[in-house]
Parts: sequence; C-alpha cells; structure tokens
Amino acid sequence: MAHFALNLLHNLEPKRDSYGFALRPQYAQRYREYSSIYREEENERSDKWSDFLEQLVKSSQPTSENEHEITLKAKPDEVGGDINPHRLSNGDDSSRRTFSELEVETNVVRASKGDDSSDRTTSGGTEIKEGTSPERVSEGDDSSGRNFISDITRGHNSGKELHHSEERKTRKVQRWAEIRPSLTAIEETLSSRVKKRKKMKGEQIKGNNNHLQSIEESELVDQDSSELFSHWKELEFLVQGGVPKDLRGEVWQAFVGVKARRVENHYEHLLACNESEEQDVPSAAFGKWKKQIEKDLPRTFPGHPALDENGRNSLRRLLLAYARYNPTVGYCQAMNFFAGLLLLLMPEENAFWAFVGIIDDYFEGYYTEDMIESQVDQLIFEELMRERFPKLVNHLDYLGVQVAWISGPWFLSIFVNIIPWESVLRVWDVLLFQGNRVMLFRTALALMELYGPALVTTKDAGDAITLLQSLTGSTFDSSQLVFTACMGFLTVTEATLRELREKHLPSVLGVIEERSKKGRVWKDSKGLATKLYSFKHDRGSLVEERKDTQGSDTAADEKEQLESHSSNIDELLNVDSELDSLPDLQDQVVWLKVELCRLLEEKRSAILRAEELETAFMEMVQEDNRLELNARVEQLEKEVADLQHILADKKEQEAAMMQVLMRLEQDQKVTEDARRKAEQELAAQKFEVHVLQEKYEKAMQSVAEMQKRVVMAESMLEATLQYESGQSKALSSPRAGRGQSPRSENPSRKIGLLSFGLGWRDKNKGKSNAEESSESVHNNGSPRNESDSQETDR
Amino acid sequence: MGCGSSLPDRDSRLLGRPTSENGGGQDAKNLRVKLVLLGDSGVGKSCIVLRFVRGQFDPTSKVTVGASFLSQTIALQDSTTVKFEIWDTAGQERYAALAPLYYRGAAVAVIVYDITCPESFSKAQYWVKELQKHGSPDIVMALVGNKADLLEKREVAIQDGIDYADKNGMFFIETSAKTADNINELFEEIAKRLPRPPVSSDVASQTAVR
Ligand SMILES: Nc1nc2c(ncn2[C@@H]2O[C@H](COP(=O)(O)OP(=O)(O)OP(=O)(O)O)[C@@H](O)[C@H]2O)c(=O)[nH]1
Ligand SMILES: [Mg+2]
Repeated sequence: MAHFALNLLHNLEPKRDSYGFALRPQYAQRYREYSSIYREEENERSDKWSDFLEQLVKSSQPTSENEHEITLKAKPDEVGGDINPHRLSNGDDSSRRTFSELEVETNVVRASKGDDSSDRTTSGGTEIKEGTSPERVSEGDDSSGRNFISDITRGHNSGKELHHSEERKTRKVQRWAEIRPSLTAIEETLSSRVKKRKKMKGEQIKGNNNHLQSIEESELVDQDSSELFSHWKELEFLVQGGVPKDLRGEVWQAFVGVKARRVENHYEHLLACNESEEQDVPSAAFGKWKKQIEKDLPRTFPGHPALDENGRNSLRRLLLAYARYNPTVGYCQAMNFFAGLLLLLMPEENAFWAFVGIIDDYFEGYYTEDMIESQVDQLIFEELMRERFPKLVNHLDYLGVQVAWISGPWFLSIFVNIIPWESVLRVWDVLLFQGNRVMLFRTALALMELYGPALVTTKDAGDAITLLQSLTGSTFDSSQLVFTACMGFLTVTEATLRELREKHLPSVLGVIEERSKKGRVWKDSKGLATKLYSFKHDRGSLVEERKDTQGSDTAADEKEQLESHSSNIDELLNVDSELDSLPDLQDQVVWLKVELCRLLEEKRSAILRAEELETAFMEMVQEDNRLELNARVEQLEKEVADLQHILADKKEQEAAMMQVLMRLEQDQKVTEDARRKAEQELAAQKFEVHVLQEKYEKAMQSVAEMQKRVVMAESMLEATLQYESGQSKALSSPRAGRGQSPRSENPSRKIGLLSFGLGWRDKNKGKSNAEESSESVHNNGSPRNESDSQETDR
Repeated sequence: MGCGSSLPDRDSRLLGRPTSENGGGQDAKNLRVKLVLLGDSGVGKSCIVLRFVRGQFDPTSKVTVGASFLSQTIALQDSTTVKFEIWDTAGQERYAALAPLYYRGAAVAVIVYDITCPESFSKAQYWVKELQKHGSPDIVMALVGNKADLLEKREVAIQDGIDYADKNGMFFIETSAKTADNINELFEEIAKRLPRPPVSSDVASQTAVR
C-alpha cells in the first residue's frame, strides 16, 4: 500500500518527495531511482523493528502478555487510543499529527480503488497508522490540510466532539499524546539521561558535561533494566538502519526524553503568556524574536502541504513559546526548520518538548546570541579534517576555500536543506539516539570522505564549492551515508570532542570579546559573551570558589548576586500582604525607599565590580589570545620562509639544469659540425687520392711505353752502331786507333738517353705535385672568396 | 637533439603553472571575483542572487541558515568575462558573528536594504562601517535598495540611499528581485568597477622565467 501511495505521489506531485518536501528539479530523477530502494528498506526495517519491540516488551514486561499483544497487533481502538484517540474518529477533524499528510491525498485516491486496508498487515509498526486510513479516506479532501494539531478551540466545538467522548480518553486532543506502550521501555531507559541531567543542575555539581550522557556514559547497566541493556547493541544497530517512518515521531520522543522533560501545563502557560503579551509591551528582545519569527514563518518549508495556515500557527506558537521558555536562546534562524520538522512528526506539545530537549541539551550554546558552541565546533571540525583528510584540506587551502564556509551551514542546519530528506531523517535518528553532537561530526566527515576525491580535481574555489553542494544535495544513498558515518569514524566520540572543545573555546571567546569591545556603546554587565558563558557553565562552583581570583568564576558569582537581588525584589513584591499589615502608610513608603536605596546601592556596586572583573578578564583573554596568535604567526612565518627557501632552491636547481642542458646541446652541435666537416674533407681527400692514383697509373703506363721506346731506340741505336762499326771495320780495320774513339763516345750517349727518361719521369712527378698544390689552393681559395664577398656585403 | 626538442615543452609547462595557481584564467580577460551579500534578514538578498543566477523569483524563498553559495559568469562588452562567486549570508543579527568568515578576502560587498523598511537601512549602514573597519581595504562596495517595486510602501527615500553611498564612496542602485529591475545592471556595474589585474604582469612573468 505504501508503495502504491508513493507511486501515486510521484505522478501527482513530482516536485515533492514522499515527506512533502520540495525536490530540486535536478535531483528529481535520482530521487525517483532511489524511492524504490527506500521502499524496500522501509519494509525491511518495519519488520525488524516490530520484532525487536515485541521482544522488548516480552522481556521487560513478562506479565502483561496481553498488552503486548495489543500493541503489536494494533487493535485500532487500543493502540490508536493510546497514541492519538482522535485518529480513530471518523469525524472530519482529522487530527493528523504526523508528516504523512501526503498520504491523505493518496488515501483519497486509494479509496476510490477500494483496496484501502487489504494489505495492511505488513508490519506492526505501520499497521497502527494505516489502521486509521480508511476513516480518513471517507473524510475527503477536507482533512488534507489539518496535519498539525491545530487548536483546541476548533477541536472542541465541532460536531465530532461526540466521537471524543465516545473514546475512553478525552484529552485535549492533538496537543499532547503519550507514545505507544511498546516504546516506553526505551523511553524510560533513555529518559534517565534527562533525569540525571536535571539532578546535576539541581545539585549544582560542577562539571562541563554539556550534553546528554551518551549511551556508553549513562550507566544503564546498574538500573533494573539490565535486560534492556542487553538489547542495547541491537537497538543501536536498528537505529543506524533507520527508524520506520510511522514510528519515527514517537521513537524520537523516546530518545529525547520528552515525557521526562515535560512539565504539565507549562506549555499552555507559555502560550497564555504569549496571548496576553499582545496587550503588554513585550521586552525589546522578545519583540525582535517575534518579528523575526514572523518573517521566517512563510519561508519555512514553503509550499509544504502540511504547512497551511494551521500548520504555520502551530509553528508560530511553538517558536514563541520556546523564546519565552528560554530567553538565553530566544529565536535563531534555523530553529524554524527544526520546529517545522518536529511538528510534522508529532503533536504540538510533544514537538515543543522535543524541541526544548534538542536545543537546550544537544545544541546547548549553539543558537544563542553569540553562537559560541557553533563556532567552536567549526574549529574542531577543521582540526578533524586536517587530521583525516590532509590532502583534501591542502587542496582546499590551495584553492583558498575555508572548510568552515561549507561546514558552518551544515552544522547549523543539522543538514536540513543540505542533504536529501531521507538522509536528514536517518542522520537525525542516530543523532537523537546518541544524545550529543557526535553524529553531526561523523556525518560531515562521511560527506567529505565520499566527495573529497571529486573535490581534489577542481580548479578554483567556486567550482569546488559548487561541486560539493551539488554532491551533498544528491546524497540519496542514506544508508551508505549513515554507515560510513557510524563505522568510519568510530574514534570521533563525545570524549574526544570534549577535549577539543576545551582546546578551541578560548580562541573563540577571544574573538567575541574583541568584537564586543569594539561594538559596545554602553557597558552592560550582560553584554559579555564570556561572562554569560562562564555563568552558565561554572554556576556550580559558586560559593566555594568565591574568593577565587579567576575572572570567570567570580564573574559568575557576581551574576548570581545580581540575580538574587532581583529575586529579592520579587519577594518584596510578593510580601505585599505583609506590608499591608504595617500601621502607617508613610512608614511603608519610607521603608520601601530605604530598601530601594539599599538595593540600588548594592546593584551599583555589583555592576562596578562586574565591570572591573570584566576588564580584568578581557585582558586575560586578550593576552592569552595574543600569545597564541603570535605563536601561530611565528610558526606560519617559519613555514612560509621554509617554503620560500625550498622554492628558491628548486628554481636555482632548475636554472642550473637548463644551463647544463643548453651547454650540452651546443657542444653536441659543435662536434656534429666538426664531424660533418671532417667527413667532407675525408671524401675530398679520397677523391684526390683516386685521381692521383689514376694519374700515377697513366704516368706509369707512359713510362713503360717510353722505356719500351727507349729499348727500341737502343736496339735501333745498337743496330745502327753495329752497322756503322761493321762499315768502319770494313773501312778502317787497319786503323785500330780510330775505331776506339766512337766506342768511348757511345756509352755516354746511352747514359744520356737513360737519364733523359728518368728526368722525364721526375718531371712528370713534379707536374702532378704542382697540380695537387694548385687544387689545394683552389680549395682554400673559395672560402676566402666567400668571406670576401661577405665582407663586401657588409 | 632529442634533448633539444624537449626543452620547449618544459618551458611551456613552467609558464603554464602560475596561471593555474591563480585559479585558472585570472587574467585580464577572465576575472574571478568573490562577492558577499550582507544586510538585514528579509531584505531580499537570497532573492537577488536567485534572480541573477537562475533568473527566477520565488516569493517564498527559504530562510538562509549560515550562508549559501552560488556562482554566475557574465560577459562584458569589452569581451571580458567575470565569474562571480557569491556568498549569500544569513541576515539575523546573531549570524553577524559568522559574517567575517565570508567577507574576509571578498573583492566585492553588496549591502542590501529594503526600501520599505528604515530599520534595514540603518542595518546597512552598520555593515558599511563594519566593512570599512574589517573588510579588505580595496573592497568594492555597492549599496542596494531592494523591493523597488513596492513604491507605494517606500519608507527610505532614494536620495537618502544616494547620499549615503556617495559619502562612503559606494556604488548605489535600487533593484527589484521580483520584477528583475536593475538586477543585471547591478552586477554589470560592479564588474566594470573591479580593479583589473595589470595586463603586462603575465608577459613580465613569462620573460622572467626565460
Ligand atoms: N516585493 C518584493 N518582495 C521581495 C523582493 N525581494 C524579496 N522579496 C520578498 O522578501 C522575502 C525575503 O527575501 P529573502 O531573499 O529570503 O531575504 P534574505 O535577505 O535572504 O533574508 P535572510 O535569508 O533571512 O537573511 C521573500 O520571501 C520575498 O517574498 C522584491 O524585490 N520585491
Ligand atoms: Mg537569505
């Protein structure tokens, strides 16, 4: 049935999720993808929870088997009556207290289909609500708007008054309702946290335990609910898996301890004050809050179907009542969303006390005028980030993005409007269960873990923030988020946070002090953040440490004194009757005057003392702060200097490298050129050698020829000589002396010819030498010419 | 020779780095500007931003918790672009404690009041003083009188706005997020008044590296 309802819803209202909250168009598609997963998860957890509660009831109330039976089987008149008697009436005042008013619309449709309650037995948890559906269906559209418990007046003068009286419990319906019995065991156990806290306040035990005790801290074991404790781990696990939609309002009340916090009739009283306030002149501060609340009412979940006129009236009443209930907080933007959310889940007065619990305990000091705790939390978160995600933080630093720019709004809005609603509710489930702000930190860290890697790729501040915003906005996988948060950051505990708080508080106080000193026009003992803070936190250490020189404690004393004076005045006014019995009116006046003077005197001295202490303390804080800042500045300066040094070194190295590289390259070029030139020369030389060789061979050939010719010439010469000698023999054989002289002549001629041949050869050799030298001259000459021409060019 | 060819590459990488350090394109042609919106709650800061960035007006905008971020780039006539990184802050007085976180380092502050609400005008003056004391010394400030469409409900005379802005060296304009009147003009005018990074600086850095 739920599925059906969801589907219908999407068709009808694609711009809103199943809780009625606006969906950003860019996420609508993803939401649709996840809604089936949500449905499955929801079914699963309903089963688990009903099993668990059944077990719990069995073990804690073994005698009341019947009651338990009733609870789980959800006999409508029993259970419904317990939770909300109205719901069962089929009158038109639908008393719908929870956020599921969207189902109203779908219920109407369902009715026409006629299958309203057929599959109602899916789980014990959901059964209860759905049991009421059929009636509502018959109501028609009329009921759809009345989601919030509207007002008493309307509820009682209408015709369905009858229905109320028919039921066993005719309460002022809608305003207040107890949670279902099956949850009371949890409620009682967890409420012990509230009681303890109250007791602590009452006895003024000193301690800086600002929050509810976390589960581990509260000594659940030594209560008689040790059996419950054995279920504890199981419950914790169930809570991490999510609280079923239909139980959520009541389970949250059990976690916050609404019942234990509630003071009967107090809410009515606060409302009455607000109504009578119309005539009186409201205090300046209250007037301001009222104005701001009026501005913010239409801007709280605008367009949410539950926040019609009645819904907004509820919201206004709750916020005004709270402002009156706790004037140290009054009203702060963001609270409107929380109140709105709670009103969607529970009756108005229940929502009020849940709201009180969350703002005053879980988020004490967060939404006050100075927002001290909120600022401290940012410093803590930044430290945790640096510790866990140094790379990411470095990158953000590099881009000039401060972590607190992003995480500030996350923490202040407790993720409302930051992540999808399913995830918001899942985170709140765990946060409210744990009783402190640990889950706030863990969730923020989980988001950074999930999206940090993507952020590291961004190039500028704007892109980084835009990306992170859009990624967180689409964190539809709420189970992944919650489990990452709960499992991944187990070392982030209340104890570690408390330590870090102590560490970072002074610097925040210092800054606030600085601001208030500058901005202050007139001195008001109340104006100082520090003082209020120390007042609130060291109140317990009053009397013993009265003489303590510590500014904060004494400031607290002073404050206390002032307060006691004002209560004196109250007493004074209250003893009017006593005064009446005094004989003379004039006496009374005199006495009163004296008293007044004394009080004024006291007040003045107190203020003076306060101022003194204030300045003293301011100085202390300043000194502290200055020292710390100085230290930090020094450290940073050192770091910067180191970095600059390193940078300079790097640059030098780089320059040196470049030079070396360049030189190498030049050298290489030079050698290359040289090589090329040498190669060319070699080639030229080879060529010359070749030419020479050829010439040599030619020369040799001609030499050989010459020799042949010489030989021929010799032989011819011999022949001629023989012929001549033959003739001369024949002619002058008797003249022997004559014959001798030519013979002596011949060898010399022979030698002459030979020497001629050799001389030619030598001559030829010399010629080739000359050729060679002329060539080289030519070679050398051409560059000279070039250079000459270059010179002329110039 | 392989070495020689890789040298120019290294060079260009060396030159590329400083530009990306400035956040990519922080040059004379493409400016990136951090802008913070301040002013009383309900004067329409968020509406102005939504009108400028998304072109929409939602009469039931959401309360701003802490601050919210949006960015928008506009092109000017001289073909420069300006990317505004806008921080829209929460208006309630107590959130003023967080404001320094957002206006620190901002190049532009837009201080908004509601012309139908004199109180918001004095709040605007408070912000001007605060920024003069604690903002960046060269911050460009604009004073904006919003809801100019509600003429019949006007309670702050336009001349008061002009005079105050003149006295404090601010740019003044009246806008309406509802009708979109003067919204783009507001941001364009701011863009024109931004101090430009010196054109020569990039060239100088290039030669310096060489
Ligand atoms: N008539 C008219 N109404 C406007 C204009 N701008 C804003 N509003 C209305 O004023 C309301 C408040 O505007 P926001 O933009 O939410 O105000 P804000 O300054 O952001 O307020 P905080 O977030 O609380 O600081 C809106 O809901 C609009 O209805 C405008 O130009 N004309
Ligand atoms: Mg806003």
